[in-house]
Amino acid sequence: MLNKKFWYLLLVLTIFAFLLVACNSESSDEPEDEDPDTEQEEESNEDEEEESEQEGPVAGGEIVGAMDTAPAGVFNPIFYQEAYEANILDFTHEGLVSQNDSLEFIPSLAHDWEINEDQTEITLYLEEGVTWHDGEDFTADDVVFTYTTIASPGYVEAGGIRTEYVTPLEGYEEFNAGETEEFAGVTAEDDHTVTFHFAEPNVNPLYYVGFPIIPEHVFADVAIEDMPTHEATLDPGKVIGTGPFAFTDMVEREEYVLTRHDDYWQGQPYLEKITWQIVDQSVITSLLETGDIDFVADPSGVPAADYEMVEGYDNVELIEQPDFGYQIMGFKLNYRTEEDVEAGTIDPDNWVENPDVADQQVRQAIAYAIDRQGLVDGLLYGRGSVINAPIAQQFWAYTEDVPQYEHSTDEAEALLDDAGYVDTDGDGFRENPDGEEWVLELAYPTGNQIRERSAPVIQENLEAVGIKVNLRQPKEMSAYVEDVMENDVDNGVDLYLIGWSLGSGDPDPSGLWNITAAYNMSRWNNPDSDELIFKALEAPDAFEQEFRKQTYQEWQELFATDLPAVLLYAQNKIYGFNERLNGIDPLPYSMINDPHLWWVDDAE
Amino acid sequence: MYKYIIRRILVFIPMLFALSVIVFALAKAAPGDPFTTMLDPNVDREVFEERKEALGLNDPVPVQYARWIGSAVQGDFGESIVYNGRPVMDLIQARFWNTIYLGLVALFFTIIVAIPIGIYSARNPYSMLDYAATGFGFIGLAIPNFFFGLLAIYFLSIKLGWFPPQGTVSGSEVSGFQEFVDRMHHMILPGITLGLASTATYMRYMRSEVLDVLGSDYIRTAKAKGMTDHNVLYKHTLRNALIPIITLMGFEFGVLVGGAVITERVFNYPGLGTLFLDAIINRDYPIVMALTLIFGVFILVGNLLADIFYSIVDPRIRYD
Repeated sequence: MLNKKFWYLLLVLTIFAFLLVACNSESSDEPEDEDPDTEQEEESNEDEEEESEQEGPVAGGEIVGAMDTAPAGVFNPIFYQEAYEANILDFTHEGLVSQNDSLEFIPSLAHDWEINEDQTEITLYLEEGVTWHDGEDFTADDVVFTYTTIASPGYVEAGGIRTEYVTPLEGYEEFNAGETEEFAGVTAEDDHTVTFHFAEPNVNPLYYVGFPIIPEHVFADVAIEDMPTHEATLDPGKVIGTGPFAFTDMVEREEYVLTRHDDYWQGQPYLEKITWQIVDQSVITSLLETGDIDFVADPSGVPAADYEMVEGYDNVELIEQPDFGYQIMGFKLNYRTEEDVEAGTIDPDNWVENPDVADQQVRQAIAYAIDRQGLVDGLLYGRGSVINAPIAQQFWAYTEDVPQYEHSTDEAEALLDDAGYVDTDGDGFRENPDGEEWVLELAYPTGNQIRERSAPVIQENLEAVGIKVNLRQPKEMSAYVEDVMENDVDNGVDLYLIGWSLGSGDPDPSGLWNITAAYNMSRWNNPDSDELIFKALEAPDAFEQEFRKQTYQEWQELFATDLPAVLLYAQNKIYGFNERLNGIDPLPYSMINDPHLWWVDDAE
Repeated sequence: MYKYIIRRILVFIPMLFALSVIVFALAKAAPGDPFTTMLDPNVDREVFEERKEALGLNDPVPVQYARWIGSAVQGDFGESIVYNGRPVMDLIQARFWNTIYLGLVALFFTIIVAIPIGIYSARNPYSMLDYAATGFGFIGLAIPNFFFGLLAIYFLSIKLGWFPPQGTVSGSEVSGFQEFVDRMHHMILPGITLGLASTATYMRYMRSEVLDVLGSDYIRTAKAKGMTDHNVLYKHTLRNALIPIITLMGFEFGVLVGGAVITERVFNYPGLGTLFLDAIINRDYPIVMALTLIFGVFILVGNLLADIFYSIVDPRIRYD
């Protein structure tokens, strides 16, 4: 009996095995089919190298991009939250204005605009003849609809987080509270003219009008709470924008296909198809070499450690530019009280000072003690820079004209001696001025490997000048943020590591460094700082960029002197793309710029 | 027998209930919430506070649990927080079959490789092939999954082009039989990678069990009465040697559904393992709860199946 059963089982298994072998050989035909193609590509590339100079862009062709994590799947500009969705929305949706190389606002869906004297109103004239992916006309009503939706009650409850674009607009509070039927903040003058009304004079109105526009004719009848799960938010072919490419197909979490929008208002895009593939980070560079993927951009990019290897690939070109953001080591200057944490209030009057890092001279000494260039060279393979002010270095507002804290153990030791922190018991570490043991607790999160590896280096740097540092066990991000921000009672943390990505729209640092900002994890309480930050936003002086620039310079100097945090480094973004791809013209904050002008030189 | 199965299934219910209480309590006890790590200087923290309030995350934990279990017993596992309101069941469904298929392929590789080699090794101990199998066993156990996966991708996909390096399918255009073939083709490398360690384990088990049984008295008796080696092996030895393997596979069944985070990551193979890990990291409670329950059910069912198979393989085992 069993004998028979066993042989049946074996038979079934063998058949299965043959099936596998069969499909193996069957589908191995496909790569063979592809192989000659890719060889041809390579050959033709070589041939064309000289010719391609004269040849202009050709229509046609497909490219494949790679990112290392799949988007959550919310393809709606007003509800998405992640950089991965942005990679798709950047091709499919557009705002009224966009930004150029020097971060100035330039026309996009609006070709022109007027701002009134006191900067409370901006009127934009929209391009005519712009059509949505489904063929409908784009009008001023779509703009009104987009902003009204973000302002409407229930937007945040439905999962939206972009309220910053509407809060400064007139009538926001009344409308959001349900007191008015009409949103007074954005009005359509006619089909192609739209006016934004600000409640107060606004320093940078163009930033607020740049939000990507969604189609009214698609979403008009959808209740706001249903929008995030509506098919026009989730499903390829149903997501409608005005951009050069339409999101037409996907294999969820594996492949996202963008097809050109033939009636694109700036002219038909050259490329027929752009496919985003989700590829594990460890495989991206190899596939770049084989030509299976044509480009890798934000947020993963090419790892700094692989730069030289990829540079050696004949078929890949690299773009290296500074990231919008920085890594810091903050000083926990104050803690909140239990009651404040409980109530969720941020009230500097109740804060409890942390004596361990309260002395400005001590903080400056620590800045001198850390070999930041060493971090850039050692951990980033030189693919980054040391910065000295907490404003993204691409902005007009950034200045190098602040104290630099170039690595110097002598300076550090002199400052510490001067501040009274000397080694009194001969154990090799300094005691505080009262002669008590002085240990700084450094907390840091897991997740970013480079940051994780910087912690022990910092400890070593500080111990070299006699500061005893206790490295805490790194915690996973959620638990870490609880410790240093959400629940930051006196839990002994003195130093913390965190990184910030900044927006490219405006250099205003208030979201991170205002005294009452939640993200002011240092709980830096310097009224002069708040005064300067507000001054830089105050009408009418701040209408002049020169005025803002000077004010921000003063602020950066104050920051670098008072030092609520040491700015460790700004990492570089490294984008890579196959040389058959042309027309790439990256912006300081993104590689995706005018993708309708991208073309490949092997298009048929 | 049927009574036994029904009784076992009834016992599942309080067990799953207890499991859900424990997991819910643990998930809530972990520091942070789904919004803690959304650190965006352009977004006012108040916005997240409002969202938390709207989702009821500020309510007392027992209240939240009551709300969750209330809808869960009606089959509604709620909506994901991180995936912005998408129903948990949709997210799970999309990955569930990927995981099952991958697990089955891995199990298939394990069985066709491990059992024959195990038997051969036991019958010809200290032969060349036995040493080779032992060597392979140690390597299989010692080599980390991700490393083997990367090697396989590098040599077999990128250098030789035999297999697709990533994903489950070549695109959404393929359909019908073509799609089946394509999916199979995509599953081979991750399947082998996932099955590698258990292949080594099963092989070792099989070898020692068969050796053990072959040395026992009743086998000597069977041989003494003139039975052929062949019959001794398949009629007496295998049945007895398979019992521990069945126990192992019972556990494997639950593990298989739990997914294989590392293999899934390396091959970008969307499955439950990655979904579960991400949900835990992001504190996406509805997904964590639903998946825990599913894993629980499968582990219990796996054990039940193992028990049932015992009675088939070994007639002395009877349940009533």
